[in-house]
Amino acid sequence: MQRIKFIDRMAQGKMSRRHMMQSAGAFGVGTLVLPHLANAAEVLTCLEWGGYDAADYFQSYVDKHGAQPNFSIFSGEEEALAKVRAGFAADVMHPCNYSVGRFVSAGLAVPLDTSRLSNWKDIFPILQAAEGVVENGDVVMAPADWGNSSIAYRPDLVDDDFKANPSWSIFYDDKYKGKVSMLDNELAIIIGAMVAGKSYDDVFDMSGDALAAAAKEWGTKAIDNSRFLWTDASELQQAMASGEIVAAYAWNDLIKNLRSDGIPVEYAVPKEGMFTWFCGLTLLNSGKADPALAYDFIDAWLSPETGKVLIEESGYGHANMKSFEISDPAQVEAMGITDPQGMMADTIVFRNPSDEVQTEHNRVWGDLKALKL
Amino acid sequence: MWKRLDGLWIYAVAFIAFIYGPVLLMPLFSLNDSTFATFPLAGFTLRHYGEMFQNQSMMAAVLNSLKIAVIVSLLSTALAVPASLALTRYKLPGGGPIVGFMMLPLVIPSIVIAVALLVIILKFLGIQLSLWTVAAGHILICIPFSMTVLMARLEGFDPSLEEASRDLGCSGWTTFWRVTFPLAMPGVISSLLLGFIISFDEFVIAFFLTGTENTLPVYLYSQLRFPNKLPGTLALGTLILCGSAILVIIAEVIRKRGVQSGNPGDI
Amino acid sequence: MGFGLLAPALTIMVLMLLLPVMALVMLSFWSQSGFDIDRSFTLENYWKLIEPSDEPTVWFGIPFYLKYPIPVILMIKSLVMSLVATIAVIGLAYPMAYFVAFRVRGNKAFWIILLTIPFWTSYLLRVFSWKIVLGFNGAINSGLMYLGLIDAPLEFLLYNPTAVIITLAHSWVAFAVLPIYVSLEKIDRSLLEAAADLGDSRWQRFWRITLPLSAPGTIAASLLVFIPTVGDYVTPTLVGGPGGTMIGSLVQLLFLRQDNAPLGSAVSIAMMLVIAVLVALLLWAIGYRKMRARRS
Repeated sequence: MQRIKFIDRMAQGKMSRRHMMQSAGAFGVGTLVLPHLANAAEVLTCLEWGGYDAADYFQSYVDKHGAQPNFSIFSGEEEALAKVRAGFAADVMHPCNYSVGRFVSAGLAVPLDTSRLSNWKDIFPILQAAEGVVENGDVVMAPADWGNSSIAYRPDLVDDDFKANPSWSIFYDDKYKGKVSMLDNELAIIIGAMVAGKSYDDVFDMSGDALAAAAKEWGTKAIDNSRFLWTDASELQQAMASGEIVAAYAWNDLIKNLRSDGIPVEYAVPKEGMFTWFCGLTLLNSGKADPALAYDFIDAWLSPETGKVLIEESGYGHANMKSFEISDPAQVEAMGITDPQGMMADTIVFRNPSDEVQTEHNRVWGDLKALKL
Repeated sequence: MWKRLDGLWIYAVAFIAFIYGPVLLMPLFSLNDSTFATFPLAGFTLRHYGEMFQNQSMMAAVLNSLKIAVIVSLLSTALAVPASLALTRYKLPGGGPIVGFMMLPLVIPSIVIAVALLVIILKFLGIQLSLWTVAAGHILICIPFSMTVLMARLEGFDPSLEEASRDLGCSGWTTFWRVTFPLAMPGVISSLLLGFIISFDEFVIAFFLTGTENTLPVYLYSQLRFPNKLPGTLALGTLILCGSAILVIIAEVIRKRGVQSGNPGDI
Repeated sequence: MGFGLLAPALTIMVLMLLLPVMALVMLSFWSQSGFDIDRSFTLENYWKLIEPSDEPTVWFGIPFYLKYPIPVILMIKSLVMSLVATIAVIGLAYPMAYFVAFRVRGNKAFWIILLTIPFWTSYLLRVFSWKIVLGFNGAINSGLMYLGLIDAPLEFLLYNPTAVIITLAHSWVAFAVLPIYVSLEKIDRSLLEAAADLGDSRWQRFWRITLPLSAPGTIAASLLVFIPTVGDYVTPTLVGGPGGTMIGSLVQLLFLRQDNAPLGSAVSIAMMLVIAVLVALLLWAIGYRKMRARRS
């Protein structure tokens, strides 16, 4: 349910062959003259989050083929989907559990043959079978990166009551009005219903009157009480660092980033539960390259070596169980994850409502925000 | 009589402070030894500049944007100069509706323009996306701005100046270069500057119409979500600021050394 | 001759705009079901924008008797925001343009470029800078607290409509200074001298000569700021807080997230028409045509 994933993906600013070529071109060696026209038919084209285009994340692909794929960078899946639907030819896309369904419904996703992925057997079983990975019996996304969604808070600025008994109710509590920040997402309504005592499985796809009632009661509250509804992590982490926000819906990496700057911050385990999201790679039918290249690229992403980079540099989890074995235990703990298997079993893995219900959720949330001055 | 130190001078200084104040925080925080840009300052560091120069994709994006912005500002001005001349000098039938039509890109939401152009480029024309396609989209949205400043300049000029030039035996072309173009000069410069700023900052059209190369806004939108990258981008803002300031100062020095005469009323 | 000069620009614009505009118009008369578009003609999208209801939705104390009041509410909100921002921008820009046109001698290009340099840095970075100025531990709050004028940071500086206006005014002010400057620059100085010789005071000369003659540029500048800011949604989202939704956000949402391009098109067209009517009314009210015809 994170519209944008943020990772400090290239913290080290690594230089790759493609980047060198890019900057060489930029200095006047003619990048403007349709540089990829000649080899467009063969080179793999990936629609990727800005930052995930660094070679560390698919090193075995580079080793095998001697070059990086082409990347088209996006910062939100909706824009990326619109671009592909308008005719942009990409082979591989990096959606998340909540957005992959839209690629499937639009008829763009090609089912994956997992026997062609050597690392598939080491993927967490719960992820192998999760909604979003499997749609209508087909594997449509190879899960790669995952993380949690919970409440990050400043222990020096919240009440002891909350620390003793953390709950998502902090976002609906007038005591914290103007001091919290919820994600700009309809999840604010669903979590509100969970605070009222319902289980996630009962409310994740509520619609009609039930949704309208919950929106009126909880959605409005979350909007009124939030200092801002966050959409980008820079904004959120900045506000938490300054103390403007004392608690926020957040992912693991916020904890890691703030602590490394010496700012006190804790990751709560709310009594209603914490969430797990995941993203992965989907094969698109618009691609022009050989699918074997796409499988190599996806397999490279699933490798434990990629997982180690992801865990140590970004503070995100990786879908390959072996990644955690070879990563620095201190870094794993900094993310707030000690027992990935157990943690995965304890948290609520996000589920996807049907397309119509999803659209309704979007609309209700959008309308709710529109009525706020 | 004009050299007075009065309210207007004070206002000008305050205005400069207003537009420069916030952006001058960029250099400040780009030298601050912290990931987060909040007071109090944490200490001095140059490491963010190291991060920036190592970040090849960011530098490539800056250069891509520069190229596009220069091309766009030149081309949209080159297209707008004759068009605004035509609309201000000649009583064209349908002049009003034509101006209205040319202002359309100001009102159409950019997402609509972007997606529609993408479909045309890929499905009807079969052209590969590149920086050129981005430039084409940007020219479309810059023309209204260029037209507006140029028409504001050319409107109401005394046509007798051009007539005199023609009476003295100058060809139409010479008249244009010797009389009309110098008269239009402040408008031309404004149009170039506006085109550059608009193209350099545009995100939606650039995102949809670019292939595998990024422009700076596309890159920044994908990075501002990574808090650790923030100081690096502030360092970049500082670099752009200093670079452009130095360019302007050099140009000014050259100008002062060159023509000392010059009509004070003209640019 | 005239059409020959106009041809290159007009051809390019027709080629690039005609299809998008036609697509937009056609889409607005179609309807969406799931990912597919139903191409039978319907007025449903437009009806949806004005369909009355007996149950009013109250927004900001105003009752809206509409079934789906969101587009109308957002339109009003966006127009008001944009109008205030435009007034602020013109108010800020005019004296500066006047200064450059009448006080600066010789190096005017230098001043004009000096005024645009801050805008060569990226928009996102400028918005971010404003957040540092207005923010919780930002420049204003830290400064006031250092001076001992306040004990705790002021929270009303950021994430509200005022912050949106300030940020918009800052981002658009260069777009207004340039056209105003350009039209002030061409005013014949001998007119002012003649007026001075005839005994007009400075204010009289300004009211009777400078202001009327610079009006075309000033109006052009206001339109250049007003029209695009109505549809802008980036600034309100970034600094407006939870209430930062504008009509532009709705269009974006309908096209990208809710897969309802037909309704999105209808909203876009309605927005374009409202702006066009307002602009036409404004120009008519101030007699723009007459003003253009008056030769200086």
